[in-house]
Amino acid sequence: MSQRKTSGGCLCGAVRYEIEGPLPPPSACHCSQCRRHHGALGVYTLAPADRYKIKGDRNLAWFESSPGIRRGFCRACGSKLFWERIGSGQLDVTVGSIDAPSGLKIGRHIHLEDAGDYYDPPSR
Amino acid sequence: MAQDDKAAVRARGHCLCGAIEIEIRGPLRDVVVCHCGQCRRQHGAPPSYTAASWSNVTLHGEKNLKWYQSSPDARRGFCRVCGTSLFWEPMGQGRISIAAGCLVKPTGLRTVRHIFVAEKADFDEITDGLEQLPQSMSAAAASPPPTTTVDA
Repeated sequence: MSQRKTSGGCLCGAVRYEIEGPLPPPSACHCSQCRRHHGALGVYTLAPADRYKIKGDRNLAWFESSPGIRRGFCRACGSKLFWERIGSGQLDVTVGSIDAPSGLKIGRHIHLEDAGDYYDPPSR
Repeated sequence: MAQDDKAAVRARGHCLCGAIEIEIRGPLRDVVVCHCGQCRRQHGAPPSYTAASWSNVTLHGEKNLKWYQSSPDARRGFCRVCGTSLFWEPMGQGRISIAAGCLVKPTGLRTVRHIFVAEKADFDEITDGLEQLPQSMSAAAASPPPTTTVDA
């Protein structure tokens, strides 16, 4: 677990965020929705409810990618920032958007059954 | 953009919401994973890109494609509706890098190398044993391999 305050944001700087307290090890998601949306694996840690603040959220666009799930990105530069189960209060945050160093290590790979055919997925 | 719609479609792709569809009729480059800081932040993780000639790419729903110029000579294309990352374009070269994740299986593509590994983030693991370049492919091509010549 990372203990410090974490900051991050999009490539153009229009959307920034801060998270207080420890963050769990990220999951790397190989599902086709994440791979399509990101053009990469979906690598997310978790910001618990009431422990994060978003600045510039007028530049934050949301897309409901499946019922009850939405993905947040910067409407100016397209950076992928958040994945949210609507109403949960907590926010999955892309680890690539965290200001380096993140202090995080990937904890697990998920949805390997839906991995892309252009790489060899890890065996775990 | 497509010059010959009669040629066979090599690959198709689309964004998450389907507002933008892509057809590629010519050859596709092997997939390269970029570990640079810009890609990491924009995609949320290191992206996998193939590439093609722009002249072989047909877009449907192009009005939904938004470009962000991320450096003086390159721009990134994404769907303004769903945010899907689709393209990285070195402007003016007639080439387009296409995110492999948007392509429909089977892609017939293979990942062959990692670039900008010198900028790799702490959470980023490379475990596949493929070639790793510290910077870009053009930088690697421009610098000759180390030699062991002795002074004349």
